[in-house]
Parts: sequence; C-alpha cells; structure tokens
Amino acid sequence: MPSAPTKLYADDVSLLVVLLDTNPFFWSTSSLPFSKFLSHVLSFLNSILLLNQINQIVVIATGCNSCDYIYDSSLSTNPGIENGKLPALCSELLKKLEDFVTRDEQLNKQQSQSLPPTTTSSLLSGSLSMALCYIQRVFRSGPLHPHPRILCVQGSSDGPEQYVAIMNSIFSAQRSMVPIDSCYIGSNNSAFLQQASYITGGVYQKPQQLDGLFQYLSTVFATDLHSRTFLQLPKSVGVDFRASCFCHKKTIDMGYICSVCLSIFCKHHKKCSTCGSVFGQAQTDVASASNLKRKTPES
Amino acid sequence: MPEVKIIAKNFMDMVASLPAMKLDKLYDNAFICEAILRSLPPLAKKYVLQMLYIDSPITAKSMEVWVLPDGSSKHRVAIDRLIQLRVFTETVDRRKETTYKINPTFQTNLQKLLTHGEVLPREPMPSNITVRLPSVEELDVYAIGQWECFLLQLISSAQAERPSNISSSMMKVFQRGLLSQRDKEAPRLTDSGFQFLLMDTNAQLWYIIREYISNSEERGVDPADLISFLLELSFHVTGEAYNSNTLTEVQRNTVKDLTDLGLVKLQQGRKESWFIPTKLATNLSVSLTDSSSRKQGFVVVETNFRLYAYSTSKLHCEILRLFSRVEYQLPNLIVGAITKESLYNAFENGITADQANILLQLTPELYSQIISFLQQNAHPRVAERIPTVPENVTDQIRLWESDLNRVEMNPAHYYDEFPSREIFEAACDHAREWNGLLWEDSKRMRLVVKAEIHIHMRDHLRGQKQ
Repeated sequence: MPSAPTKLYADDVSLLVVLLDTNPFFWSTSSLPFSKFLSHVLSFLNSILLLNQINQIVVIATGCNSCDYIYDSSLSTNPGIENGKLPALCSELLKKLEDFVTRDEQLNKQQSQSLPPTTTSSLLSGSLSMALCYIQRVFRSGPLHPHPRILCVQGSSDGPEQYVAIMNSIFSAQRSMVPIDSCYIGSNNSAFLQQASYITGGVYQKPQQLDGLFQYLSTVFATDLHSRTFLQLPKSVGVDFRASCFCHKKTIDMGYICSVCLSIFCKHHKKCSTCGSVFGQAQTDVASASNLKRKTPES
Repeated sequence: MPEVKIIAKNFMDMVASLPAMKLDKLYDNAFICEAILRSLPPLAKKYVLQMLYIDSPITAKSMEVWVLPDGSSKHRVAIDRLIQLRVFTETVDRRKETTYKINPTFQTNLQKLLTHGEVLPREPMPSNITVRLPSVEELDVYAIGQWECFLLQLISSAQAERPSNISSSMMKVFQRGLLSQRDKEAPRLTDSGFQFLLMDTNAQLWYIIREYISNSEERGVDPADLISFLLELSFHVTGEAYNSNTLTEVQRNTVKDLTDLGLVKLQQGRKESWFIPTKLATNLSVSLTDSSSRKQGFVVVETNFRLYAYSTSKLHCEILRLFSRVEYQLPNLIVGAITKESLYNAFENGITADQANILLQLTPELYSQIISFLQQNAHPRVAERIPTVPENVTDQIRLWESDLNRVEMNPAHYYDEFPSREIFEAACDHAREWNGLLWEDSKRMRLVVKAEIHIHMRDHLRGQKQ
C-alpha cells in the first residue's frame, strides 16, 4: 500500500478529478439540458484553475458502457486561443467529449444486438476506479503533489449490479484518504454516492435548483480540503446504507450473509458463490426476522 | 537609523498600499485581478468565488454563518485582506449592520475570465521568424546564472565574474539596507542582508522587485504601471518569444533591467527583437502563495556538525561561509563544519558598531532561518528523511544562539533624588500608565523608565514642581 502523502504543496493546492455523467438515458429525461449543464461545469472548472496556478483538473466521462479521460489540465500546454473564440479548456474538452459519446453509443448498439438492453445506469464503478488509478499515479510520482479529491457529478440512478465494484472503490479511496464529493442532479437520492461521501469524508449534495448549478458547485465543491476545516458545509441528513445482493443484484433490506466471506444473498443458497463455503439447511419454514440473518457454514 | 525589514511575501502589501484610485485602475486589467485572487489566503479566494455572481451586498452576519467556530480568526484575516486590497467594499448602514460588496470591476473581469478564459495581451511570435529558441533547460540555466551573478555582485561587487548592465546607482538602491559601509572599509552584510541571502530564490526575487518598484518614482515611472506589467509578464508562457514591438517605451526599459535579473532573455533577429520569459518570471505570481522552492537541494548535514554541499556555485559557497567554517572546496563539493565560532560570527555579522551602541538585539528568526535554509536546500538523499537536519544540530544551533541573547539592552533614563515620597509614587504611577516602568527601588526612591517616555516623565515632573 502506498504511504500517505508526506510532503505537499501549499495548503490549498488541489487535484480535482471530476466524473461527468454522460448517460443519454438520463439526459433525455432531465429538466436541465445537457448543454446548459456543460456550461455550468466548464465555468466551474475554469474557476478551479483560476484559484491557483498549480491546481490540476482531470475530467472523466462516465458513459453507459464505458468511461474515459476527456481532459487533463497537466497535459494541455497551450492556454491561448485556438480556434477563434473558445479557450483551450472548452474546445479540447468538448471535442473529446463528443468523440467519447459517439464511441459509447456505438458500444451500446453492439451490445443491444447481442443482448437486450438490461440497464440504464452509468458505469460509475469504472470511472471511480480510473480516478483512483490516476490519483495513485500522482501519489507515486514524487514527494511533492497536490491534495487530490474526486467529484462525481451524477444524474442517472444507481446500478445495483455495480455494488461490489463501487464499494471496493469507495474503500480504497478511504484507505488512500481521498474524499469523494458527490453532486447528484437526478430525481431521487443516490445510495451509492451517499455512502461514498459518507465513508470517505466528502460532501454529498443534491441541488434543489438546477438553474443555479454553478453557484452550488462554486460554493460547496470548490472548497479546497484545507479550508473545509473552517467552513460550514452541507451535512448528510440520512444515508441509505442498503446493500445489493450478490446473486440477483437487487437492493435489499434484509438477507443472508456468508459468515466466512461476508457475501450478501437475497435468498438461501446451498453453497456460497464467492468463497465456496457450504451452508447448512435454512430454517425458512419457521423463519422469523431475526433468524433470517443468521447462517451457519459447515465446512 | 534606516530600518529595513525583510519579509518575504509582502509584495501584495505594497499593492494594497497604493492609493485607492490607482488600485481601482489596476483592476481594469484582468491579469492583475487573477494575480491578486491567487495571492489571497485560501478562505478569501473561496469567498470571492462564492460572491462572484451575487450583485447585492452581503451582510457580515450571513457570512459568519459560513464559518465554523474554529475558523473565525481565519475568517477575519480573509475579510481584512479583501478589504485592504479593495476587492470587497465595506459599508455600515444606519442600523449598524455591516455589509460587503465585491468590487464591480474586479467582479466583471473575473466573470469574463471564467466564461471566456484568459487572453494574453500579446501573441507568441511564429517560429519561422524566431529561428533558434533556447530549450527549457538552456533557459533555466541562463536564468539561474543571471540571478546568481546578480546576487554575487550585490553582496560584493568585486567577486562578480562579469558586471551586469544594472547601473551602479540602481545597485546602490538594492544594496541599501542589505550592506553597510563605513568609510574606507569593505562593505559588510547587515543582519537584513544576511537574512536575505538565506531566503529562497522566489522570496529574494520579490524583495528585489519590491525595491525596484519603490524606487521607480525617482526614475519617473509610475509604480502602478510597473506592477501591472510585472504581473502581466508572469502570465506569459515560459520559453515562448514575444515581440518587443508590442512593448511601450517604459516597458522596454524595464525588460532590459529584468534581463539582468534573469527574468527574461532578450534575443535579436534580423529585423525584429524579442524577449523570452524564463521560469523566474512566470513563477512570480505563483511564489506569492507558494513559498516552497521546488529546486534540487544540495546540502547534507551530518550529526557530527559536518556539512557537505554538492554545488559548483560560487554563491552557495559564499552563503555557507556565512555561518559555517568551509574546510575544503572541491570542484563540485564544498565541505564545511558548523562550529560555535562560525555561528557566533553569523549572529554578530550584521551588527555594526554604531548599531550595537544603541541596542543589541539579534533578529529572533536568524536561528530558524539558518535551519530552514539547510532544510530547503537539503540534498534529495536526505530530504526524504525526517528530520532533514539532525535534531542534535538544530538544538545546538538554538542553544548557541540563546547564549548570545541572555542580555537584552533597552535605552533608558534613570531618576533619583525625589524631594518627597508622594512625588516619587506619582512618578512611578505615571510611568506605569505609559507602560514604561522598567525598575523601581521604593526604599531609596530611584526608578528607571524606558527612553521613549522620558519626555512625558519630564513634563509630569515639571508639573509636579509647580
């Protein structure tokens, strides 16, 4: 495990990894058009770069079937104007984003030919892992590096089938002390993001008025980690801690847990699908609520 | 006695001390807004961003709600700074309610920056005109070389390998406060000069730039113009060539001076001439917030007080000589030892005879400055270790310094032969009121007060007589 950062820049230098939701299923139903959303986010990214010359931004697009880096401020060399009007940040990001969305759409078509479309959620686990990989690389690059944090700007609902992968990402973020902030712009609260922010010490917020998204972003999510110790930030009201079962990927309130590897199942199995432990007979016939949770492995 | 204080990051204080009208004019330039924003404390930056799109004034009370109880001192510092720089304007209305409003020019400029990105005042020149530009490494070597040459010339004009173009009167300005010269003796470093040499490059650079700007009026240049040009320069891209035609007359002269400091490199083409900003120039606005120098260190200090410096620089050798005994000097290595004598030498270095008569007071930070110099310039091999400089060495340096600090001298006045006890007591009380009573002996009616309240004491005693 890489050691925690020992030597850092000045207090407020940050590396911000932004995960943008580009899921077409969500944006077709959203009250906020995607173009408006982008202009809010671009202004926000600009403002982060404005605050400190050595602040760094990485943007990862979270699609339906794939995810990819679409902008990295440490790689962009020319801050001047490129094609007449738009600054480099916008033009570069928008171009990559367009490429990405087209590719993601093609992937979707290929998949739907072989299989019927199963899910409309975004591949959050993938982009979270990519963000963490990037941060690990920065940690290992040398003794001097900015404070990293992740911001998920998510709209589509949770995909229970990604439960294990997402939880693993959250725990590894917790271990490397990287807070995950989440700005959820969908209709219901996202249990995954609530848990992610809760566990890693980030901020979870669901903006009430999407027209003022920039104000939310700049007020809450532009706060560097150093200033967070002095500022009043939104606190989580309640966190949905429900888990998904490993067998059918359903979100459940109550279920069976393997006492060897802690895998979660929605109904009784003879054998744990994760670690192979053999379970005894379930007492489902006389099941009471308390019994349901207790399982005895025999091996 | 001219007093020169060395504070590394006080450039923005200088900006803040400009008259309000000039300061407001400065904010017309978007780059200055950006540089000012970046120089602010983190919390202040945050407030600016938060209020950027709010047009109505915000009450102080509602701002305090944003802060946790622990952060209230930081909050005050941030707000004070913002008001000082006229980024925020404070108004108190009839109901004694304080409100803050962001400077409208500053606000619109930053809003533009957010939506349109930054636009440089001049474009880099196309590469077909500027045939051979120096590589980044070459440019760095050039910049450091120029700077060290300048510093050497600054501390002792004789040692510089080649004289720079900075006029001797300009040099005198820079040396003011750093060097002191008594007639016909070689100039010696003052304690400020000593501290100056131990600061990191960025801090030194700012000190020199500050002197340069504060001297500008004598040369007939508006300080505000100079500040805005320097800040603008820091947003140019390192290593790109910019046409000198785009500069005004004043700016062209400034660029010439900056060349000597290593901030820019001038090149002459067949028809046109251009300037290339170096790392030192583009770091100007970074260094306002970030003082950590990111250059390679070269010093290893051992627990036996020996010191190895892997450096070829003459300047480094001179600096080390200030507080250590240099034993050998090899082409790429300087070996020295920190001894009690060498440190006493350092602590006494700056104090000239006439200063010592008045008050013998050592700068309290000298100890920490030597240590931080050793830490900042630590060789990469030892830089990873904690502590970088062995603890027994740092402790011993502190002890040696405190040895010298056992006696503190204060200029004072002594009174005795009071005609009556009442007058004596009244005099004591009067001195206490002025917070200047140093010593009293009520039995024999004698007292000592600080020199600066002598006038008040005299007036008081005369009043008593009548």
